[in-house]
Amino acid sequence: MPATTFRIFRYQPDSGETESYHQDFQLEHGEKTTLLDAILRIQNEQDGTVAVRYSCRSAICGSCACKANGKTVLACMMQVEHVKTDSGQEIVQVDPIGNFTPIKDLVVDMTPFWDKFKAVKPFLIPDGPAPEKERLVPKAAMEKIAKESKCILCAACYSECNSLAADPEFVGPAAFAWGYRFAADERDGQRKNRAKLYSGEHGVWDCTRCMFCNERCPKGVDPRDAIEKLGSIAFQEKVTSDKGARHAKAFLISLRTGGKLNEILIAPYTDPIGAPFNAPLALRMAQKGKLPKSPLTHRVKDRDQVKKLIKNVKETI
Amino acid sequence: MRTHDVVVVGAGLAGMRAAIAAHEAGVDVALVTKLHPVRSHSGAAQGGINAALGNETEDSTDNHTFDTVKGADYIGDQDAIEILCQRAPLEIYQLEHWGAVFSRQEDSGKIAQRPFGGAGFPRTCYAADLTGLVILHTLYTVCVKYDIPTYEEWFVTDLVTDDDGHAVGVVAYDMIHGTIETIGAKAVVMATGGAGRVYRPSTNAHASTGDAMGMALRKGVPLKDMEFMQFHPTTLAANGVLVTEGARGEGGYLLNKDGDRFMTKYAPNKLELASRDVVSRAEATEIMEGRGIDGCVMLDLRHLGRDRIMERLPQIRELAIAFAGTDPIVEPIPIRPGAHYHMGGVHVDNWGAAPHMPGLFAAGECSCVSVHGANRLGGNSLLEAVVFGARAGEASAAYVQEHSAAPKVPSNAAADTQARIENLLSRDKGIRQFEIRDELAGVMQEKVGVYRSGPVLGEAKRTVTELRERFQSVVVDDKGKTFNTDLIHTLETGFLLDLADCMVTGAIARTESRGAHSRTDFTERDDENWMKHTLSYLDDGEVRLDYSEVAMTKYEPQVRSY
Amino acid sequence: MPRQFAYYPGCVAEFSSKELNATTKALAPLLDIELLPMPQATCCGAGDVAQAKPNLYLTLNVRILSEAESMGVDILTICNVCTLNLRRANKMVKEDSRVLEAVNEELVKAGARPYQGTIEVTHLLWFLATEEGLSLLEARGPRGLNGLKVAPYYGCQLLRPSSVMGFEDPDRPQSLERLITALGGEVSDYEGKTRCCGFPIILAREEVALKESHVALAGARDAGAQVMVTPCPLCHLAMDAYQRKTEQLMGEEYAMPVLHLPQLIGLALGLPTKTMEFKRHLVPVDEVLSIVGA
Repeated sequence: MPATTFRIFRYQPDSGETESYHQDFQLEHGEKTTLLDAILRIQNEQDGTVAVRYSCRSAICGSCACKANGKTVLACMMQVEHVKTDSGQEIVQVDPIGNFTPIKDLVVDMTPFWDKFKAVKPFLIPDGPAPEKERLVPKAAMEKIAKESKCILCAACYSECNSLAADPEFVGPAAFAWGYRFAADERDGQRKNRAKLYSGEHGVWDCTRCMFCNERCPKGVDPRDAIEKLGSIAFQEKVTSDKGARHAKAFLISLRTGGKLNEILIAPYTDPIGAPFNAPLALRMAQKGKLPKSPLTHRVKDRDQVKKLIKNVKETI
Repeated sequence: MRTHDVVVVGAGLAGMRAAIAAHEAGVDVALVTKLHPVRSHSGAAQGGINAALGNETEDSTDNHTFDTVKGADYIGDQDAIEILCQRAPLEIYQLEHWGAVFSRQEDSGKIAQRPFGGAGFPRTCYAADLTGLVILHTLYTVCVKYDIPTYEEWFVTDLVTDDDGHAVGVVAYDMIHGTIETIGAKAVVMATGGAGRVYRPSTNAHASTGDAMGMALRKGVPLKDMEFMQFHPTTLAANGVLVTEGARGEGGYLLNKDGDRFMTKYAPNKLELASRDVVSRAEATEIMEGRGIDGCVMLDLRHLGRDRIMERLPQIRELAIAFAGTDPIVEPIPIRPGAHYHMGGVHVDNWGAAPHMPGLFAAGECSCVSVHGANRLGGNSLLEAVVFGARAGEASAAYVQEHSAAPKVPSNAAADTQARIENLLSRDKGIRQFEIRDELAGVMQEKVGVYRSGPVLGEAKRTVTELRERFQSVVVDDKGKTFNTDLIHTLETGFLLDLADCMVTGAIARTESRGAHSRTDFTERDDENWMKHTLSYLDDGEVRLDYSEVAMTKYEPQVRSY
Repeated sequence: MPRQFAYYPGCVAEFSSKELNATTKALAPLLDIELLPMPQATCCGAGDVAQAKPNLYLTLNVRILSEAESMGVDILTICNVCTLNLRRANKMVKEDSRVLEAVNEELVKAGARPYQGTIEVTHLLWFLATEEGLSLLEARGPRGLNGLKVAPYYGCQLLRPSSVMGFEDPDRPQSLERLITALGGEVSDYEGKTRCCGFPIILAREEVALKESHVALAGARDAGAQVMVTPCPLCHLAMDAYQRKTEQLMGEEYAMPVLHLPQLIGLALGLPTKTMEFKRHLVPVDEVLSIVGA
């Protein structure tokens, strides 16, 4: 096979260079060569200073997440040829994961990631003493947290998290996947406290729902779904004072009273303190006809069915 | 210089379990790892961890003990094996109490157990096919809970001893800053895992380079049973990645090119679930005798059905698709034996203490107690790591409480490391480490593999000796201070060469076939002459062998058939 | 015989962004589609009901699917969020019959029609971006966009997660580009066209949301676009109604008019501008109209 050009992100503080740049390497390789294998061969055969984290090469240690032509992948699982066909580009550009500060080349400072992980109290806090043998837990209960248990802390989800890009202190998808894994673990006794811990500033209500994390996770953890489920736990534990939770409540009220979203209610209900400050915007929107004249238009046919559903449907997270 | 009461080198299962035990015993313990704890290779273990819980069928620790003694082909130390099997249920319950997400039985809510190789009863507890990952994570969460200080991306280069030859700390290279640091301690626990990277292919991570074994060896501590390397029967041909024994535990078949379940010939009772050395030899024979396909045999899981594969073996399905382009739901997976687990390691006693160096302990794959003897049963490695990790942690804490004086760390403790690194970085011309490592792995694979013979082993020894020579003029491309992986790999290759020499030398000397060590020129097991452990020392750069007794409590050696 | 759809405009298109609803209805006959009303359909709950009461979210959305099924037609949407919600609910019940059973039990108990799992949900963009859809547009003999430089803005929820949406590659979507070109416009490509506008958290975390919007607005501006087009009225609100706030926060100027997808099509096909109710936009579109010659 003809050689591929690998355009690798370089940042080499040792050399005195304060700016990062990209360096091209040509490498002939096989059809199934993975991105990691290619980088290691470049390290061996062409430039021993290229830095990258890796270990298991089988998508379980989580070391080698990086961006290949803009898309975050695990280098050990991604075939070079797939990067090319996926992106429609012949050159393969390799960058470190996004939303982190590079230390050298593809190696980034993971400290904020580990700190946020620790901040969600990612360990079992049982209620009461342990039995002599194993706690008996129904299979279905254990399966509730099976997906989140697959998280290998590779930070691919952080790499493209849009909330994190706008707010570097957002606790983030992986940490919340672990938060859910414990909050929903039958053996943990801290459900309400966890709900409180995970709400609040930079918490679950800061998730912008861009869905990049679900899309990128190489293990199918679906961190966005975990965040959604944490919101549900918060509602069950009546931890709903955060503006994000109030925003959701406004939807529930709208559904109960008519069936469609009541946009006069929603801003002041979400943020009773802050809403008045947006009065100028609200006024301009009213002038443009963006506020409804009558709540009657928000009522759907057979809305008694909706009321019954709201009353009857039980949450099972 | 930093000091702690206990420093644990390696933060995989054994390392973290030791640190937790030491912490719970009330001493100041720190972990040092060249990765981050969750990146440790323990996380790649798939199939399960053994314990005679008796959740599926009646079972007993005696049964487990016997299976392990037999699996070890009778050179496991039976007293240690009894300890392993007796403590097993306690450790499983402890892991569960800490939150491990073991798979459960359908109705009872008890921890589920599956059949595994060489086991008389189903006693392998599992978490889908991610058991190692789950236990690794569980232990890490406990370390976070206890806030155990952890030096991440610090590559330990040297063991430090005082004038009396006691272990008093380690020297480490901080990979982020490029500085050399000394950590003083009253006790040192080594837990750096295996050395599978001596071979190619191997199921092991790039990081499995036997560092602790190499360091101990250089300080005069002998390694035990180095010639016993387990070749796992089912590794992906493409890149050596592991396909768990659990696939066979769930009922998978091994087929040759004629579609025959060839294990009926080699192990008529246990078939695919005979012990690993038996299965690997069977596969190697089928392949050598022309009944393989492209140097492989086939692992067929189709009859298990989609639901079972998705529930119990989802990870290996993803791996097969990604690396072999095969979906096991619809096609058999091409596999072959690959270097996987090293039975040998730092010679320690039943508490993980190294008799040749007070203050030094070792646990997990880098140690040799020995509980696995000449061959390890599947599911016993994760078990050993937690049982003997805990015991080493407890023992190191007790040692600290008895030897409470501050460690006498020599002022020039880091001098050796400093010189070595400076030397490497100052060279401009020479051979790069990967060339030596590649050649080493190739010759080990070819000449010290599943089947061995005297003359061929002799060739291997010559090559290894030559490679150790050439390594003297190795050059490091990267002269920088920040994350210098070239330097790290070079130091690792140094360890690999020493360890390979021990492995080959031990293999040449052992003129019998036992467990994973199979000689075509000495095909029988020779209990009269060889029921003993091999000890390897490194004296002035030469490997010197000695032997030690095997502890036998209950079981006389029998013919080992499956 | 026009293709019939159950029309699900969503709450924002019906109220805050009436211009989108009006334009879509005016466009329908030109596209040979008939939009059947859904009098029972509630709000889809956005991501908010799902994050508060996931089982309720599922049940409400299946009720909406069931209403369309009773009409014997698929659902047509004009909002990213509605599309994701309805499709996700549809997928959950189609993939697991036990889930469908449980949901139907609740529906029946509440007096609603149970769902059989036979209909699909599609967005107007998807309907038009196919060979068939594009030839429909061509057949209309569009007056064209006169080379108008259009920045396509997808947002998130029409693309991801691709296991639910799946119309096109979520990282390299081309449906808007195909339409823009087919209608005689010029594509102003830029990074950020698939990033989040921040609307889901614009009330609860305004600053974070506006910083997100900035990425797309600045990207489109720097690519030389004269207008942005979006298939989602929530994104439209974020980038049109809140544009000035974003400018103030970021100390930037975008001067970027934002069109709903049907409006772009309407311009090309010669719909009367009054019908398209541009007066409801906060960022004036006069320049766009003059370039197109409307």
